Amino acid sequence: MTHFRLRTQSCLCCLLPMVLTACGAGPRPAAEDESVYLSIPVEVAGWHGTGDWEVYDTDTIYDYIDGHAEVYMAYGLRRCLSRRYAGPEGEPDIVLDLFEQASPADAFGVFTHDRDGDDVDIGQGGLFRQGWLSFWKGHWFGSVYAEGESEASREAVLALGRAAAAAISEIGEVPPLVAELPEEGLDPRSVRFLHTQEILNGVVYLGYENALRFGPEVDAVVGRYQRPDGGAWLLLVDYPDEAAAKKAEGGAIEAGIAVRRKGSRLAAVLAPEPQAAGDGLLADAVGGE
Amino acid sequence: MGNSKLSRRDFFSVGTGAAAAGLLGGRAGAEEGQKQPTSRVVLIRKSEVLDDEGKTDPKILHRMLNEGVAELLGETDAAAAWRQLFSPSDVVGIKSNVWPRLPTPAALEEALQFELERVGVAPENIAVDDRNVKSNPVFRRATAFVNTRPLRTHDWSGLGTCIKNLITFTERYPDYHGDACAPLGSIWLRPEIKGKVRLNVLVMLTPQFHSTGPHSFSQEFVWPYGGLILGVDPVAVDATGARIIEAKRKLYFGYDRPISPPPHHIQVADTQYGIGISDPERIELVRLGWMEDALI
Repeated sequence: MTHFRLRTQSCLCCLLPMVLTACGAGPRPAAEDESVYLSIPVEVAGWHGTGDWEVYDTDTIYDYIDGHAEVYMAYGLRRCLSRRYAGPEGEPDIVLDLFEQASPADAFGVFTHDRDGDDVDIGQGGLFRQGWLSFWKGHWFGSVYAEGESEASREAVLALGRAAAAAISEIGEVPPLVAELPEEGLDPRSVRFLHTQEILNGVVYLGYENALRFGPEVDAVVGRYQRPDGGAWLLLVDYPDEAAAKKAEGGAIEAGIAVRRKGSRLAAVLAPEPQAAGDGLLADAVGGE
Repeated sequence: MGNSKLSRRDFFSVGTGAAAAGLLGGRAGAEEGQKQPTSRVVLIRKSEVLDDEGKTDPKILHRMLNEGVAELLGETDAAAAWRQLFSPSDVVGIKSNVWPRLPTPAALEEALQFELERVGVAPENIAVDDRNVKSNPVFRRATAFVNTRPLRTHDWSGLGTCIKNLITFTERYPDYHGDACAPLGSIWLRPEIKGKVRLNVLVMLTPQFHSTGPHSFSQEFVWPYGGLILGVDPVAVDATGARIIEAKRKLYFGYDRPISPPPHHIQVADTQYGIGISDPERIELVRLGWMEDALI
């Protein structure tokens, strides 16, 4: 499978079914995908779409993105649609990337990977910083990136982001596990949803051994707490069944991680300062003393 | 030039290949037995190497390269230093980096080629490459490499380093992605590479101290540092660069915000693969030139 170029918007309708089949895009309805392509204007705030839409899949994404593709792969990347927009003379190009992830929860997860920036009301959550807008909506994670900064490009980035988000009609659900994090002392901006230790290692480094038995079928959420008795990260992990959770519990204890289990859910305290700071968090998360 | 000259024999006398690289400048280790070996690294900076728009002055960059190499080898004459590193019979691959947002400067590649030719290496025995090193005929018969790239943060390895720069010699990059790319040092033990990297040049002209977005780049997170870090030991070179990036992050963010994920492939390259020295206490750092806001 190689990456596709969709030469003009007018030919998208005929090409798209082929793209969907070849990409192995699964059960996503073609109508939804067409609407994503076709509803994004060619011209936004003085910036004009150039060249073709590019479509990258799980093989070709590495050709497009050097060093960051693994993040999208860790959240079940289906494909990435990309288009470059050229601005007025002297203004930087803007790159629009739309990443279709395995589920809305995964799109949310990608969004939480980098939570720097100012909140903007785009999609189901948007952040803007230093010429880069990120947002998520439905199965999609959106990125609008200006290859330079100016007042005009900033406005164009936001306008293009709004247009792209508007083209996605689907509304997704924030992973229910996020709401299971105790509220007291939680920094909401610190919350990340993930499936892999590699992603967690970017938050709190746990090393190579997969003590907590992460995997694609495992959902986890982590958040940073500051309470009167200290600070810590609280990790909640939902396993497919109790047996898997028990196994992970054993691995965590062996690795010296403070954990508590309730059924198929495991709570773990990471990097507590001081050491006892996490006791209350564990109790709040899954009960017990 | 405050250091004594190293003879070619000194240079290659301790260990072999990449392991010897860690001992370049390790004069202390050999003479007293109990002292652990050290690595010599040169940081050279010149503010005027970059103009107001961030463009590189090729002549100043070339001069920096020569001054750095001379200092590294303990020579007063750059040509003599280059002759310590390479001989006319060598076939040399210059392992560059083409990442479009922060590539190895063409001016640096040209300066390296110029100096290799000045040593007497035949032009047809010199090649610059990054992504196609496995099929490049010069790289395939290379007797020596120069390894050069800009330092930048990286979402999977923490930092894009000299150690990491050789990943294009491998068949499957994801094989080296586990544990924040901890196995990267093993690449240096491959037969086609081991003992052949004679010089590492970590480009610190506009290093990148933070990554953002799918394209991992924003002008906000590079700054005009105007430097090169040179060494034979890739681990010592990278460890030195990492300290500068950590310091810059602290300065920029206003709090301790470690590189994420931790670039521990640098330490692992030392402790597990033995290709160099990562302990700052055992790195002999020589500073040359402009040292304002050097951050180290």
